Amino acid sequence: MLRMEIALFLVMGFIACVYFSAGRKSTPLHRTFSVLLVVVLIHLLLDGVTVYTVNHLDTVPRLLNDAVHRLFLGSMVLVIYLFYQYIAILVEEETGRPRHLDRVSKTFLAVAELGNFLLPISYTVTPQGNYSSGIYMLIPYGAVAFYLLLCAGRLAINWKQIARKKKLAIGLALLIEVAVCVLQGLNHTWLISGMGVVLMTLSFFLTLENPDILRAELTEQKMSMLYLKSQVNPHFLYNTLDTIRIQAELNGDKKVADLLMRLVDFFRLSVKVDRQMVALDDELELLEAYMELMCYRYPELQCEYDIDPELGSVQVPNFILQPIVENSLLHGLKNKGYRGTVRISAQKTADGGMEILVCDTGSGFAQGKKASIDQMLLSYAKHPAKLEGNSIGILNVQKRIKLLCGREYGLAYTENPTGGVTAHLLLPVHEEMAK
Amino acid sequence: MKKLRVLLVDDEIMIREGFKRLFDWEAHDCQVVGEAADGMEALAQIDALRPDIVIMDINIPIMNGLKVISVSRIKHPDTAFVIVSGYDDFSYCREALRLQITDYILKPVNYEEFGSCIDNLKISLFEQRVSAAAEPEKLEERTITGITRYLQEHLAEDISLSVLADVFHLNPQYISQLFKSEIGVNFLVYLTNIRMENAKKLLLSTSLSIADVADRSGYGDYRVFTKVFKKSEGITPSQYRRDFLEADEREGEKR
Repeated sequence: MLRMEIALFLVMGFIACVYFSAGRKSTPLHRTFSVLLVVVLIHLLLDGVTVYTVNHLDTVPRLLNDAVHRLFLGSMVLVIYLFYQYIAILVEEETGRPRHLDRVSKTFLAVAELGNFLLPISYTVTPQGNYSSGIYMLIPYGAVAFYLLLCAGRLAINWKQIARKKKLAIGLALLIEVAVCVLQGLNHTWLISGMGVVLMTLSFFLTLENPDILRAELTEQKMSMLYLKSQVNPHFLYNTLDTIRIQAELNGDKKVADLLMRLVDFFRLSVKVDRQMVALDDELELLEAYMELMCYRYPELQCEYDIDPELGSVQVPNFILQPIVENSLLHGLKNKGYRGTVRISAQKTADGGMEILVCDTGSGFAQGKKASIDQMLLSYAKHPAKLEGNSIGILNVQKRIKLLCGREYGLAYTENPTGGVTAHLLLPVHEEMAK
Repeated sequence: MKKLRVLLVDDEIMIREGFKRLFDWEAHDCQVVGEAADGMEALAQIDALRPDIVIMDINIPIMNGLKVISVSRIKHPDTAFVIVSGYDDFSYCREALRLQITDYILKPVNYEEFGSCIDNLKISLFEQRVSAAAEPEKLEERTITGITRYLQEHLAEDISLSVLADVFHLNPQYISQLFKSEIGVNFLVYLTNIRMENAKKLLLSTSLSIADVADRSGYGDYRVFTKVFKKSEGITPSQYRRDFLEADEREGEKR
């Protein structure tokens, strides 16, 4: 039997390694799961030790045997208590209703632990193996039954408000634990309580706590913070900038006034993030505001446009051009001291689509960089939405084009024969049609 | 044509100074006669100065701009209100339109483009005068009202000064001067204005396609129409229609 305990311990150890090495938000739920993992590991260790000592009653001192058994069952009560806490927090987060039985469950934990360490213990010897028995056994059985009932009750009461996935995770974990407990109760010598605990932990790990989900949560949090950052009272920003602009113009500084006007334009256009699709003209307006400011900051930077005027009202995903041009500036022209040209052109293609080219005379791709960017853009779906510094990266542009326009469209890069790179944005021509 | 009297209302002195000194009021036959920094002061100034035009910020102390408009509307039905706001928010715009303000412009104000706003104002003031005048008018005034009525009825057609000259047996140059002296804007500005007003009405009250709206507003090519509309309203025709529908839905949800 000892082999099963070792296997379970290794499995849990592996899960703990994966879990603790992944980044995650600090929430009550994740903290509870972390504690749970540690306690489960200790519990399994004690499980292994007791399986050995209980079958060597004649060689192991009675006092030591008692101690590890009491510790073992004490940790089991704690594990079940933590399961209850975990499920209770989960339900609370889901429904927003506070958990009323928190104090009851804590009191019961204290009583159970006290009883576990004080009540008399005895051992039953059978040909299949030995097990501990006595009144103290009532404590863990009672605790398991008590907490499982609490969990089931919370699940049943709030059944409708809980998301399907979480409902299934909790239900499955409870079923496994109940089944294992019933089997253990019928066959005292099987000693499979450790298995129940591990399977229950595993079911939560696989459904709610795996690294992918943790990472998604974390990215979502960062994204929303970035969004909030751009939302910090824009009216204050516009109004103040506008006052400065007027003062500049009153002072006769038309240049500064114009620049401030462009800056206000840029902010005003870029906080309109609620639309998924915008007219190409809107995208170009934002881009022009951005480029005018950049060209002013770097006088040797030039920008040229060659846009087919018939494409102005074509609908394109919001905020796709500025990130591409920003990328060209930061990774291409910056290395040349911002000396060079960005050329933006939009033309119809032969097959009824549209191609936007962003061509720069920058430093081009570094050795091997093109292959890795090609690979990233090709297998865009496999890469998580990651944030590159504070900007929306090219991967994000690729994802949104594929999602909003279709898989046959998207972003690709080529190298120019004369140096620099060209971004090719292939897009459909959905005009704001006169229906 | 007499000079239009303008009242500036904004709680920021810099914004008022900007309007006063950076826009060429003289060239647009206007004159700034007063300023107000809050809602109460604005009400008092409107009563005392009886301006033709009030340039009004929404977010001002004591009483907000929309409230000021709805109160003084009753006493001074002829006053034209232009809202200048940093609130890039369509719900404000809707409430403002319900109060029948003459125009709605967003900060930052480009003083070079502000002239077209004044042109629109002159046209709506002219239309108010025409509809208010019940008694028989002088010959020139009847000529201009005849011409504008003709334009209203034929705005979907190809129309020009020479067409008007043929219909009314007048010299095209004379008609052009008539527009300048009677309304204060040139012929083309007036024509574009009534075409856009017509288009906006059609966009909101009918489900006609953009091309049909363009056609009925005198634009054979809806691309040209879209461009002109965007220049005058700041958004494309379909955006204009969509914004109103969305705002309608949002208000529906609130109730």
